[in-house]
Amino acid sequence: MQALLSFDKTPPFAAPLRFFITAPLFSLAAGLLLLWVGPDLLASRWTPGLLAATHLVTVGFMLMVMLGALIQILPVVAGANLDNPLAVARWLHAGLAAGALLLAAGFLLGNGALLGTAALLLGLAVATFLVASGRALAGVPSTSPTIRGLKLALVGLAGAIGLGAWLAVAIARGWAVALPSLADLHAGWALGAWAGTLLAAMAYVVVPMFQLTPGYPARPSWWFPGVMLGLMLAWGLAVWLDAPQGIRLAQVLSALLGIAFAVLTLRLQRQRRRARSDVTYRYWQLGLASAILALAMALTATAWPALADRAGWSILAGILLLVGGFMSFIIGMLYKIVPFLAWMHLRNRGGPRSPVPSMNRLLPEADAQRQMLAHAVALALLLAAVIAPDWLARPAGVVLAVASGWLMVNLLGAARRYRQHLEKLDREAVAA
Amino acid sequence: MSHPKASHVVDARYMEPPEPFVQTMEMLDTLKPGEKMLLLLFREPHPLYKVLRQNGHAYETELLADGTFEILIWR
Repeated sequence: MQALLSFDKTPPFAAPLRFFITAPLFSLAAGLLLLWVGPDLLASRWTPGLLAATHLVTVGFMLMVMLGALIQILPVVAGANLDNPLAVARWLHAGLAAGALLLAAGFLLGNGALLGTAALLLGLAVATFLVASGRALAGVPSTSPTIRGLKLALVGLAGAIGLGAWLAVAIARGWAVALPSLADLHAGWALGAWAGTLLAAMAYVVVPMFQLTPGYPARPSWWFPGVMLGLMLAWGLAVWLDAPQGIRLAQVLSALLGIAFAVLTLRLQRQRRRARSDVTYRYWQLGLASAILALAMALTATAWPALADRAGWSILAGILLLVGGFMSFIIGMLYKIVPFLAWMHLRNRGGPRSPVPSMNRLLPEADAQRQMLAHAVALALLLAAVIAPDWLARPAGVVLAVASGWLMVNLLGAARRYRQHLEKLDREAVAA
Repeated sequence: MSHPKASHVVDARYMEPPEPFVQTMEMLDTLKPGEKMLLLLFREPHPLYKVLRQNGHAYETELLADGTFEILIWR
C-alpha cells in the first residue's frame, strides 16, 4: 500500500514543514510586541503597534501556513502538481518571512523605505506562488466546489496583496488616498475573497474527512466562492465610485455570507459520527463561534456606523476574527496535517513490513489539548485587554506568546519524532 | 450493498483515511472482467484517480446535491 499512497510529485516533507514551524514565531512576536508596547497598542485600530501586530499574525502566521499547506495540498485536493515545489517553497518562505518582518518594522517605526521594501518582497514572493499554482491549476477542470474555490481564492489573494502593496507604497510616499476605506477594502479582500474562500474550499474536504460529518451540499458550496468574489468586486467598485451605500451593502452581504458558511459548518459538525471530540474539532468549534460573533459585530457596525467609531469595537471584532477564528481553524488543521504528512512520508519510505508510529504518537493529543487551552486563554485575555488595557494588555501579550511558542514546540516534537524514525529506517536499510 | 449503477459499492463517506483507499483497492482486486464498482465519498479522491489511471482503470465521477461524489470504476 505504501507505493500506492505515494504519487509522483508529492513534495518532500521539508517543503511545507518549514512554513509550519516558522509561522508560530510571528504570532509569538505579535505577543511580545504587545508586551513591549503595552496598553497604548490598543488605543485605536490605527496605532503603529496594532498595525504591526495585525500583519505579524495575518502575513507572518496565516499567509505563511496557508501557502505552505497549499504547496502540499494542491496535488491531493485538486490533482494539480507544482513544477519544482521545493524551489517554490524556499523562495516563498524566505520572501514571506522577510516581508512580514519588514512590514511590521515599517509600521512600527513609521519608516516608508521599510514599508516599500516589504511591499516589493511580499508582492514578488506571492506572485511567484501565484504563477506556479496558476500553471498547475490551468489544465485542471473545476470538477468540484473545492477546485473552483481554490481558483477563485487565488484571484482573491492577488487582489488582497495588490491592494496591500499599493497601500504600503501610498503610505510610504505620502500619497493622498482615502486610507480608511481602502484599508477596509484590503481587509475584505484578504479575509473574505482570499482567506475565507480558501477556508471554505478546504473545509469542503477536511470537515467531512477528519470530523466524519455529512458533506457540504453541492449547490451552495459551488456558489459561495463566486458570490464572495463578486461582492468584493462590488465593494471595490463602490469605493472607486465613492458610493457609501454600495460599500455598506457589500459589507453586509459578505458578512452574512460568512455567517451562513459558519452556521452550516456548525450544523454539519452536530451530525458528526465521531463520538470523541479531538483537538481539531474543538479548535474548529472555537473558530466558528468566534467568527460568527466577529461577523455579527461587523454587521452591527455597518448598520449603526456610530458603533464602529466607538473605541474598541472594531479591535474586538478583529481579535475575534483573527485570533479566535482564523488562527483557531489553522492550528486545528495543523494538528491533523503535520502528523498525517509525517506518517505518510514514513509509510512511503519504509518497507512493506516496517511499522510506522501512529499519528497520535507522532504528535500526542494531550500536548495539543494543553496548547489549545493556552490559545483560548490568550484569546480571552486579548478581548478583555481591549476593555481594560492598563491591567491586561501586557498579560495578554505574554499568553499569546506562550501559546504560540507552545504550538511551535508541539510541531517541532512531531518533526523530531519523524526524523528519529527516518534514521531508524535508514539504519535498518543499511543492516539489511 | 447494491446500487443502480453497480453491484459492488464501497460507501466510504464516514470512513477515516486511508480506509476508503484501502477498501477500494481491495474491492478492485475482487472484480471480475466487465464488472464495475462504485465508490461514495464526500470529496474527489485525486490520489486514487492517479493510481486508477496507472493501473489501467477507467472512472467517471458525478457530484450529487447532498455533496456525495459517486465514482464509478471499471477496467
